[in-house]
Amino acid sequence: MNKTTKHKRLTLHWGLSILLFVSFSLAACGPAVTATSVPTEPPSVVTEDQFPNPTEEPQVTTPTEEPQPLPPITILINESPWLAGFEALVNKYVEETGNQVTLNRTPFPGMLEKSRNAVQAPESEFDILTLNEQWYMQFYADGLVTPIKEIDPNFELDPQVIEYEWATRWDPELGYSSENGEIYGLPINGNIMLFFYRKDLFEAKGLAAPQTWADVEAAAEALQDAPNMYGYVIRTNPPNWEFQGFLAGYGGKLITLDEKTGEWEVTINQEAGQKALATWLKLGTTYGPPNYADIGQPDMASLMMAGNAAQFVLVGASASDFDNAEKSFVVGNVGATVLPGEMAGSNATMSGIWVLGVPHNLPDERKQAALSFLNWALTKDAQLFYAQAGAIPVRQDVYEEMSSDPTRGWWMKAMADSTPFIHAQPRLAETPQIIEVVDRRLKQAVAGEITAEQALAEAAKEIHKILTDAGYKVKPLAE
Amino acid sequence: MQSSLDSSLPPKPPSLVARFGNFVDRTFQYWTVAPLVIVLLLLVAYPTLQLLRMSVSEVDIVKGEVVWEVVGLKHLETALQDQLVPIALQNTLVFVVAVVVIETFLALVISILVSRSKHLDGLYRTVLLIPLLVPPIAIGTMWRLMYDYNYGFINQALKLIGIVAVPTWTANPQLAMPSVVLVDLWHWTSFMFLIILAGLESMPQEVNEAARVDGASEFQVLRFITLPLLRPTLITAIMLRTIFAFKVFDEIFLLTGGGPGTATEVISLYIYEVFSGQFRLGYASFLALGLSVIISVFVIFYRRLGRRAA
Repeated sequence: MNKTTKHKRLTLHWGLSILLFVSFSLAACGPAVTATSVPTEPPSVVTEDQFPNPTEEPQVTTPTEEPQPLPPITILINESPWLAGFEALVNKYVEETGNQVTLNRTPFPGMLEKSRNAVQAPESEFDILTLNEQWYMQFYADGLVTPIKEIDPNFELDPQVIEYEWATRWDPELGYSSENGEIYGLPINGNIMLFFYRKDLFEAKGLAAPQTWADVEAAAEALQDAPNMYGYVIRTNPPNWEFQGFLAGYGGKLITLDEKTGEWEVTINQEAGQKALATWLKLGTTYGPPNYADIGQPDMASLMMAGNAAQFVLVGASASDFDNAEKSFVVGNVGATVLPGEMAGSNATMSGIWVLGVPHNLPDERKQAALSFLNWALTKDAQLFYAQAGAIPVRQDVYEEMSSDPTRGWWMKAMADSTPFIHAQPRLAETPQIIEVVDRRLKQAVAGEITAEQALAEAAKEIHKILTDAGYKVKPLAE
Repeated sequence: MQSSLDSSLPPKPPSLVARFGNFVDRTFQYWTVAPLVIVLLLLVAYPTLQLLRMSVSEVDIVKGEVVWEVVGLKHLETALQDQLVPIALQNTLVFVVAVVVIETFLALVISILVSRSKHLDGLYRTVLLIPLLVPPIAIGTMWRLMYDYNYGFINQALKLIGIVAVPTWTANPQLAMPSVVLVDLWHWTSFMFLIILAGLESMPQEVNEAARVDGASEFQVLRFITLPLLRPTLITAIMLRTIFAFKVFDEIFLLTGGGPGTATEVISLYIYEVFSGQFRLGYASFLALGLSVIISVFVIFYRRLGRRAA
């Protein structure tokens, strides 16, 4: 009897243990619940709430005489002011071709993580990644997006498509974007800096659109009437991009590559850097609002729309807001031009574009479908439609044609005129580290923690160390 | 006779099956919790070991593959030379001390007042808990708008009462950290209030009443009875708040982004920048590990205090 009881207990104990273990293991290893569903009524742009499974075989049911639609594609796209224009463009593509497109709309902070996760998966969930100026070089350098000629060996980029100082290319031998590099990404949003100014106030004071930074300072002096009107507003949160525009206008760069020797030189602390920082700080601290140490892009746009800012540098994409009667007191009174330089003709603007790339980890038919969309999206007709839908095109002929547009012509012309002066921030895998240094040192200088000279000297030392530690050939730092 | 002979023999060793049964009986409690322990180990120990491994490695993604390269203590060397690390640590410590001290004091005062309130105490509790229910991202955005130099509510109100030279709040290096601390007080005092109030309400009231009968003043009751009895609760609350304060991120990220200059650059914000902005996974892991070690020192200290209080 005792033996039987013991045996039963033993069986019960083991049974319970195994049951518990199996339950936990199943719970831990079970598939995650997803909220995806397959849309049933193509053609239409599908939003993130209705994801189809990108790896699923397409259900092609079209009659045989019609061209066979390509596999459906999914595009990871940033939620930004130009998204509406991009959606309109995608809708047009779907309408014209019958190919199905899903948009995964993602806020800016999530874009990089989603892109990285996609390229690490056995097969990417996205067919096209929208990559920002700050990080596409990492995707190029690490081979995480496919060279376009690998998808279509006959691919030739239309010369009217602006390459934004070779943002599209990567030269593995040089380890840098260059004219001789292979095309990895295609531009989709041509954001560059423009110089915005209050046309009405300039006319009232008899001032012409500024050509040099000295003109800007003279205008700031003439228009300063704080707190009602700030003569000039600088962007300090974050400051690096705008400062690089000033720096390029003085003929300088953060770092310079000697393409013959492959040797880098840190140049931020040289004469051009010193002049650029002095001008930038003077304009911001003398003619800006008292909170000049903490001004971001939305603050600047608000100041202009409220009629409290006379002039500043901002992305071209913000132009349409100034003419929005629901938001702005200055409709029709804002002008745009190319960023001034140290002298007339030494203008410079910075590229802050987005490119589209095809992940490396896709089967060939998905890559072909992705490239088909990219080719279509860069045609002149598509880009004209895109610009009229409120987005920022990437073709020179479109900017030139749009220059006579009654509503957008005033800033589209400035975009067209800026193309020869486009510069890019360094395009290295270490760029985010370099930018962090520049941002921090500029912020310290503008907050008065350190002097302008210290900011440049310290930034140069840190950038030199970053490049040296990463194994680049770097010239000794100039004193 | 036979039985007496048998009893003189050494006892027959139990069979293998019986021995195994005894072993299972003795260790049954361990077997039953084993699955849970295994799952917990997988969920806690594995990520921690990964963090340790990453903190001594360079990690990169090449062609979709994660590439590891062990670099030993290189990240320690980098951290020692990194000019932002001491600034971030100093700012973090200032922030932690300020918010923990002020929030504990405020929460203690409010809890005592609410616990003694005879009217509307339910309303007070509800209203005081609201900040804790608001997502940090909304709090950061809301206060950013309130602090706005030109259009913010605070400066507009100051101008209405005749103050012309209004502060620049988050743009002033001297005011930025106090501005951030103020937002944190608004957000987290409710948390401390909730814990301290629970501690006060679970205390035996008879002791207080006996002291009052013996002629103790309200201050003496608070000083010699309420506070000593509340000490374990206070230590737990302060420990939790310290841990959370060391990890502050969202409020500062939205309010100042670490600026102006480096006035509000805290270590979590810097780790985020290194990890997500610069994609230096190894170095970011090392900094995260360092932060965990610092927090652990505080936790050990509080636990010792707690034991002494108990």
